[in-house]
Parts: sequence; C-alpha cells; structure tokens
Amino acid sequence: MSNFLYQDELMDHYRYPRNRGELAVYDFRVDDHNPSCGDRVSVTGTIKNKSIEQLLFMPQGCVLSQAAASMLAERCQGEGISVIMALTRDDIMQMLGIELGPTRLKCALLCLQVLQEGIRQYSLRSGLQID
Amino acid sequence: MDFKRLRADFPIFNEKRPSPKYVYLDSASTSHKPQAVIDALTDFYLQKNASVHRGVYDGAESATIAYEEVRQKVAAFIGAACSSEIVFTPGTTAGINFIAGAWASKNMMPGDEILVTQADHHANFLPWQRIAQERQAILRVLSISAENYMISCTNQAHESVDHNVAEYCIDAACRAFKNIVTERTKLIAIPLVSNVLGDIWGDNTGTLKALISRAHEVGAFVLIDAAQAVGHQVINVQELGADFVVFSGHKMLGPTGVGVLYINKKLHAQVEPYQVGGGMVFSAAEHESRWQMPPHKFEAGTPPVASIIGLGAAIDYISERIDYDSLRLHYALLMSYLVEELALMQQPVIIGNLHYIISGSHIINIMVRNIHAHDLAGYLASEGVAVRAGHHCAQPLAHALGYEATLRISFHAYTTREDIDQFVGALKNACVHLGKL
Repeated sequence: MSNFLYQDELMDHYRYPRNRGELAVYDFRVDDHNPSCGDRVSVTGTIKNKSIEQLLFMPQGCVLSQAAASMLAERCQGEGISVIMALTRDDIMQMLGIELGPTRLKCALLCLQVLQEGIRQYSLRSGLQID
Repeated sequence: MDFKRLRADFPIFNEKRPSPKYVYLDSASTSHKPQAVIDALTDFYLQKNASVHRGVYDGAESATIAYEEVRQKVAAFIGAACSSEIVFTPGTTAGINFIAGAWASKNMMPGDEILVTQADHHANFLPWQRIAQERQAILRVLSISAENYMISCTNQAHESVDHNVAEYCIDAACRAFKNIVTERTKLIAIPLVSNVLGDIWGDNTGTLKALISRAHEVGAFVLIDAAQAVGHQVINVQELGADFVVFSGHKMLGPTGVGVLYINKKLHAQVEPYQVGGGMVFSAAEHESRWQMPPHKFEAGTPPVASIIGLGAAIDYISERIDYDSLRLHYALLMSYLVEELALMQQPVIIGNLHYIISGSHIINIMVRNIHAHDLAGYLASEGVAVRAGHHCAQPLAHALGYEATLRISFHAYTTREDIDQFVGALKNACVHLGKL
C-alpha cells in the first residue's frame, strides 16, 4: 500500500486536529469503536434547515481514524444531510488522498459511520425526511 | 546449521522481487515456503494429479499411496503411536471446531468444566465458549500473568476464585493445578506456544506434562494448540500424554489449507464424524450408514491432496535441514539482539516475560506509548518491513493485559540479524514521524 504517512495534510490533521470535542447540547450523539484495533469515535452534532449546523468528533486511536475525523468534520460543516448520507468509502479515500487496504479502511471509515448513524437516528426521532 | 544457506532455500527472498527491501517478520501469521515444498505442489499438479481413495488406475493408486505416506510421516514427526491417530483438516481452527462439534457436543454435560487460558487464540477459546453455552457447561478461564506467566483462575461469571497461583515451576504448578483441575473438569484447552506471549511452558514442558497428568487423574482430557510450536521445537504427543493436538501446515513451512488433528486412539470410539459424506462412509443405504474406521472416518469429501503432499515435503525439509537446538539458539541470539536495540530506543514496551522471550522464543510483542500499533505497522510497511499489528486474535488476553493493539515481530529459520537491523531502523523513523509534537 501507499506511503500515506508522508502525506502532509493528513499528518497535519493528526497533529493539529480540528473540530475535536463534544457539544454540550446536541441533536445527535453516537459512540462506536472498532474492536479489532481499539479505535473509538464519538460524534455530536446539531442540524438546522436540513444541514449540519455544528459538528464535533472525539476520536481516539490511530492516525487514520483521528485525521479522518478531523477532515470529515471540516468538510461537513454546513453541509446538507442528504449529501452526507450519500458519502461513501471512496469519498473518504478521496478526502484522505490515499488508497487504503480493507483493514486500514475500517479505521478511516469509523467517523463516517458514526456521523451517518447519528443523522439516521435524528431523522427517525424527529421525522425529518432525508431527500 | 548455516542459516544463510538455509535462507537461500526460500525463493521469495531472491533478488527478482520488485522491491529491493523485503523484511518479513510475520512468520507467526504464515511462514514462507522452501523451494522443495513449492516443487512438491507443482510436481503433483503437473505429473501426479488424481483424487485419493477413489480410482483404481495407476495415477489414483499412486496418489493414494503418497497421501497415506504423508500421514505416516506426520505420525512419526509428532511422535504419535500410529498413523490412524492423524486426521488431515483444513487447519488448526478447523481441527478445534472438529473436536468441539464431534466430541464435546456429545460428551460435555451440564456442570462439566472446560478450562481455557486467557492466552488462547480465538480458535481455541470461542469453540469452548460456545460449547459451554450450548451444553450448560462452565467455562473457567485461566489467566496468565505477562510478567512471570503465573496462572490463576476465574470462572465464567468473572468472579475471582481464590486459588493460589502457579509459578513457572513444576512443584508450585502442580499444587495449583490440583486446586484448579477438579472432578468436574472435562476438558482443558491450552496453547503450547502463545501467539502473543511466545513460549509459556519453557523448554522442558515439565509443567505442561504435570497439568496433563493431573487432568487424566480426574478423568479430564487435554487439547493442545500447537500451531505456533510445530516446526520450531520437538513435539512428542505420546511423551506429553496429550489427547488432542492441532496445528497448521502453513505455519511450518507447508502449504495453506491443510492442518493436522491428532486424536489419541483411546478416544476414537468417543469421537463422531464431524462431517459426513463421501470418503468417510463404509456403506451407505437409504436409511442407515456405517462409517469407515479412523482416520478415514474423520475425513469427509475430497481432501486437499496437493497441499497434503506439500505438507509431507515440509516435514522432509524440516527433518533434513533444521536442528531444533540450533534453531532455538538462532532465535535466542536474534531476540537478544532485538531486545537490546529496543532497550536503547527506550520508547518501546515489551509485553511478556523478558527472560523467557530471549531464551528462544520466536515471537515478541511490543507497544510504543502514544503511537498506535497500526500506525507503526503502516509506517514500517512503507519501508518494506512486514509485521503484524492488532490483538492477534487474542482479545481476552488484550483486555486482561490492558492494551488495544500491539506490534508483533516473529521469526522463523530464515530470519536474519539484518532483518532486525532494518526493523529497528524503520521503527526509529516511525517513532520520529508519528510522535506528536
């Protein structure tokens, strides 16, 4: 696989994570982990006008899981929830700028999984339609 | 032994590989294959391909003879009393599931106890967890201290049972085993070499034999996971007194897809076929069938014939080219060198007992504080160094020792001091690159 660890932007997000933390007041909150490696991510967010208003991740684990969470949060600020729900693993790899094998891909996808699950749970509770 | 010459027997290391640097330190996952094993596979498919125990033409008969010769070879290799005790399986996991399904599911009664260790691979843990649930048996987990490999016991409800711990010495171990192994014990499932801690019984296996004797005193049976031991040390199942022993061909320089399940013949009558179908049946009628005698009773369907022939070639290679005392010394020298280099780095933390690791183990696990093992492994891979990161299919041990993931470095006979140098150099670079500012 590729030398992803040389990618400056990825390492920058790992060393100086953005959007890291937990909202005190939120519309959705999801925690998940990958037991095969111990990566954990929690997400809290608020939604307004079918878009993300605020979004924070609290990742713990490897470089990929932390950098991906930081980059995804940056990308999704103000983004429409239908766009976020349509994001795929290919979008994550494109966002990270690297190709990943199936084992490391799980690390990078954890943040997307919790975010999409959070939006799904919120839409079920609130009756919000995701177009 | 000339280990440099031996390495030349393994074509994967030759200069034709696309990457100039290829440092393989993951032999505990799978070992590389000598040319002789590759040739045996190719030769079989080119010249001798036929199914076994079915046709009567020359090719079929000679394939059958070759197949059964490998069975005899395996029996001699592990010190079995006779070849009928040797069953070919797809691998270690399949062999353990076989005994769970074909013996334990019929012979385990409510209230019977199954002892496993925290250090067991999932393959030798989960089948027993399931059997305990299905048969209302009690799963008792022997914990193993990473500092000194002392053994203690908790029950399935995770209550701490106040039995004294067994030290890594026979007398204390026997005393503790007498408390842990009781009249209710039916099966003890243990690793011969842990894929995380390495060699937990030492080079004399006296403690293990004491445990097996104690088990037999109370009418219990012992299943030994030998997957990380075969090909690295002498295995003699009769001397150990084992009831069931399992291992895989691909970890002992042989092909993937084949393993061995040793079933002591005293248990043959108690073990049912695991799978039924062609090859294992003596006579089949519409409503009733009779099985073949062991071992064929236990081998349903067309076996992986070529891989079994390859396994025979691996046994020949090990028997002819590897002296176990020299191999153990080779490991001890490599491991001592590695441990010295890691100590100079200061950051890495070694999991397990240092004394036992440098005495001749071929497995070592480390952690680097604040750097995830997957990131280390990813960086090392970018420098051509192959190691394993994670929990190594031993999550109970990871939970017990309080880590999420470790980096595992493992050797075989073809591992060199230069491999250690490359690993250490790459690890230093990884720590610099990945350490947060």
